[in-house]
Amino acid sequence: MNRKMKKHYRYLHRIKAVISTVIFLLILAAAPLQAQEVQFTALAKTAVRVGENFQVQFKINAEGNNFQWPQITDFQVLNGPSTSTSSSVQIINGQVNREVSYVFTYVLRAIKEGEFTIPPAKIYVNGKEYVSNSIKIKVSKDSGTQGSPGSGGGSAGTTTQGTENDLFLRAYISNATPYQGEQVIITYKIFTTLPISNIDASKMSSFPGFWAKDLLANRNDFPQTREYINGKEYVVAEVKKYALFPQRSGEITIDPGELSCVAQVKTAAQRRSSDPFFDSFFNDPFFNSRYQNVEKQILSNSLKLNVQPTPSRNKPDGYGGAVGNFTFSSQIDKTDVKTNEAISLKFTLSGTGNVELIDAPKISFPPDFEVYDPEITNNVKVSMNGVSGTRTFEYLIIPRIPGTYTLKPVVFSYFDLDKRDYVTITTPEYKINVQRGEGTASNITYSSVSQEDIKYIGKDIRHIKLPPFKLRQIGTFFFRSGNYYFLLLLPILIFAVLLLFWRNQIKQRSNIAMLKTKRATKVSLKRLKVAAIYLKEGKETELYVEISRALWGYISDKFNIPRSELSMENVSERLLKKSVKDDTIAEFINTLNNTEFARFAPGNKSENMDKTYQEALNIISKIERELR
Amino acid sequence: MKKILVLIFLFTGFLAYADNNQILIEEAGKLYTEGSYDRAIEMYEKVLENGFESAELYYNLGNAHFKMNDLAPAILYYEKASKLNPSDEDIQFNLAVANSRIVDKIETVPDLFYERWWNSLIFTFSVDGWAIISLVTFVLLLVVTLLFFMVDVVIIKKLAFWTGIALIVISVSSFALANQKYNSFKKDHEAIVFTPTVTVKSSPAENSIDLFVIHEGTKVEITDNIGEWTEIRIANGTVGWLKGVDLVKI
Repeated sequence: MNRKMKKHYRYLHRIKAVISTVIFLLILAAAPLQAQEVQFTALAKTAVRVGENFQVQFKINAEGNNFQWPQITDFQVLNGPSTSTSSSVQIINGQVNREVSYVFTYVLRAIKEGEFTIPPAKIYVNGKEYVSNSIKIKVSKDSGTQGSPGSGGGSAGTTTQGTENDLFLRAYISNATPYQGEQVIITYKIFTTLPISNIDASKMSSFPGFWAKDLLANRNDFPQTREYINGKEYVVAEVKKYALFPQRSGEITIDPGELSCVAQVKTAAQRRSSDPFFDSFFNDPFFNSRYQNVEKQILSNSLKLNVQPTPSRNKPDGYGGAVGNFTFSSQIDKTDVKTNEAISLKFTLSGTGNVELIDAPKISFPPDFEVYDPEITNNVKVSMNGVSGTRTFEYLIIPRIPGTYTLKPVVFSYFDLDKRDYVTITTPEYKINVQRGEGTASNITYSSVSQEDIKYIGKDIRHIKLPPFKLRQIGTFFFRSGNYYFLLLLPILIFAVLLLFWRNQIKQRSNIAMLKTKRATKVSLKRLKVAAIYLKEGKETELYVEISRALWGYISDKFNIPRSELSMENVSERLLKKSVKDDTIAEFINTLNNTEFARFAPGNKSENMDKTYQEALNIISKIERELR
Repeated sequence: MKKILVLIFLFTGFLAYADNNQILIEEAGKLYTEGSYDRAIEMYEKVLENGFESAELYYNLGNAHFKMNDLAPAILYYEKASKLNPSDEDIQFNLAVANSRIVDKIETVPDLFYERWWNSLIFTFSVDGWAIISLVTFVLLLVVTLLFFMVDVVIIKKLAFWTGIALIVISVSSFALANQKYNSFKKDHEAIVFTPTVTVKSSPAENSIDLFVIHEGTKVEITDNIGEWTEIRIANGTVGWLKGVDLVKI
C-alpha cells in the first residue's frame, strides 16, 4: 500500500516536471500554436446481431463543447456518453505540435433486424459547428455465423461452417403434467462436437409461474458424458438444473433457455475465384482450415407444462399448498411454567417437496399469552433429485396471567404424490399450567392489582333460545279474540252479580230489623206472660230470668242491636243514640238493676216479685209510647 | 255439554300438535349446536308450516340463517321475533349484530321526543302484553269499585276511589296501545329487501328515473301498492318505488 502511494507520488512529480518543461519551452519558442484541421468522425461496427451490444465512438481532435447526440430510435442506448481525452505535444525542429483527442463513447444494443443508420452528431469547436459522418449498421438475426465482436475486423470476410448440428442446447423436464406445487426438475444439457469454453449460462430462462431453486448453484465444473446421436459423437454436459414448483395450475410455457459460449470453429478464407480447380484446392481444409474462437448464442427448445390443480375432493380445510412427502411434529420445552417465563413451541416440517414455500401453521393462542412472530429456519438440501429438507417454526410464548391453558392441536395437511391423496398430520394438544411467578414488582408489569379491560376477541350473535317455549297459532292474537272478550265480560258479570247480591242482602237485613222491631213488644209481652205464670206459682229464679230476658230481648229487637253487643255499661249509650228520653233510660236501667238485685233484696218475696213484674211491664209500655 | 266436549277434544288435539312441535324444536336446537344450520332451519320451518309461531322460534330461525350467512332472512326473522316480543334483549342484540353486517347503512331520521317516548312505550310490550294489562287493570278496577261501595270506612273508600281512577286510565290507554299495535300487525307495513341489489325508481314504471340503490337485508316501510310495484320509505325518510318481489313482508 505504502509502496503504491510512493509510486503515485513519483508519477505526479514526473508529470509536474513535464508540464513545467512544456511551459518553459512554449515561452522560449514564443511561437504561435498552429491550429490543426478539426476532424470529427463516428466509428462503429457495421454489422451486428440482434441482441448484441456494441460501441459507437465519436472522435474529435479538438476541444469541443455542446456535443449533440443524434436521436436514435432503432437501437437501445445502454450506456453513454462516456468521455475520454488524450493529448500529446510534439516538438519537431522547434515546431510545436499539439494533439488532442476527445472520444465520446456510447454502448448500444441492436434490438431488431434490418439496416439502420446512426445519424451524424454535432459539436462546436470555437463556436464553429462540426458534423460527424453517419454510419450504416446492418443488424442480422442469425446469431451463429457472425463474427464475435471481440475478434474485431479480423473476422471480416470469413464464414464459419454451420454449427447447428455441432452445438445445441436441450431442455428436459422430469414431469410434464405435475400437480400444482409438485416439484419438477428441468435440466439444460449442452450437446457439442466442438471444443467450447467460457460457458455463460447467466441468461438462462426465468420461470414465470414457478418458484425455482437452482440445483447446481454450488458447482462450477460441468461433468461430461458422451452420447451418440445420428452416428455423431457428442460431448454432453448438464449446464443448468432447476427444481421448479408450479405456483398456478393450467398450461405454462417455459421460454427457451439462452446460453453463450465460445466455440472453436473451423473457418475457411473466402476467396472469390472463377477457377473451380483452384477454388476447391484452396478451400481444402487441409490447406486452408484454421480454428477460430467464435462467440455463440444458443437457444434451447421451449417446454410446455400442463399443471393440474390438486384435487378438490377430500381437500382438508387448512390445506396450504404443500405437495410432496412430509412429516410434521411439534415440541414444547415445558408445560409447567411461572408467569413471565418464556415457553418455546417448535414445529418441525421435514420432507421432500416445496418445503420453503410453506407458511407457518396458524395457531390460535389463548389471548392471555404474549406470542412473538415465529422464528423460521430452513435447512434445505439440494440434490440432483430435487429439494428436500426441514423447515422449523419456533414460537416464543410468554404467559402473563396464571391459569391452565390448552394449546389446541395444530393440523398440517399436504398432498401426497404417491397416494394421490391428502394426508393430514395433527400435533398433540398441550396443557400449559401457569403459576404465579414470584418476581418482584420491578420486573413484572402485571401485578395482582392491575386490571385489564375485557378483550373482545370476536363478535357474534347470541345463542338460540332453548326449548321448551310457548307456541301459538300464527296470526292469532289474544287481543280481540273470543277469549279476550270473554275475560273482559266475565268480571263485569261477576261484578254485577256481586252487586245485586249485596244489595239484596242489605234489603233483607233491613227487613229483618223492621220485623224484629214490630215483634219486639209481642215477644217481650209473651215472655212477661210466662213470667206472670211463674209469679203465680211463686218460682222466684225463673221469674227474674224471664223478666231479664224480656227486657234485654226487647231492647235488642227494638233497636236492631245484637244481643251480644249489649251490656249494662253500654245500654244507656245505645238508647241515647236512638233518642230515648234520659229519665226513661234511667228508669229502664233501674228496672234492669232491680231484676238483678230483687232476688237478694230484703222484704216479702212475693211482694218484690210482683213489684219487679209491674215495673218491667211499665217501662216497656213507656218506651213503646215514647217511640211512637 | 256437547260444545264443551268438542272444545276439550280440540284442545287435546292442539296439545298433541304442540308436543310434536316441541320435539321438532328440540331436535333443531341440537342440530344448530352441532353446526348443521340448514337442517335446523328445515325443522324450525316445519313448525311454522304446522301453523305455530313464537318469538323464540323466529329468533332461533334468524340465528340459523345468520350462521349460514343469509343476512336478509336472518333480519326478517329477527324482526318478526321482535314484533312478537319487543322487550327481549337477545333479539334486539342479534338484530343489531345482523344489521351491522349488511351493505346499506342508513342514517335514521331522529324522532321527536314524544314520538320516541310513544314508540318506546309501544315497544315495551307486545299486542297481547298490552291486552293482558288492560284486562288485569280492568278486573282490578271492578274490585276497587266493589270495595268503594261495600266498605263503610272512609279512608278505604277514598283510596278505592283514587286507585279506581288510575286504573281506568291505565286500562283504557293500554287497550288503545294494544289496538294500535294490532292494527299495525294486520297491515304488514314493514318489509326486508331480499334481492342483493335493487334500484329504487322515482315512479312505478320501468323507464322512470333511478333514485338510489338499496341492498339485501335493508328494512323498508311499505307506504303504497300499485300492481307489482310497491312504494317504500327507507329509514332516512327517502321514498321510492320498487317491485314487490324484491321484498318480504315482516
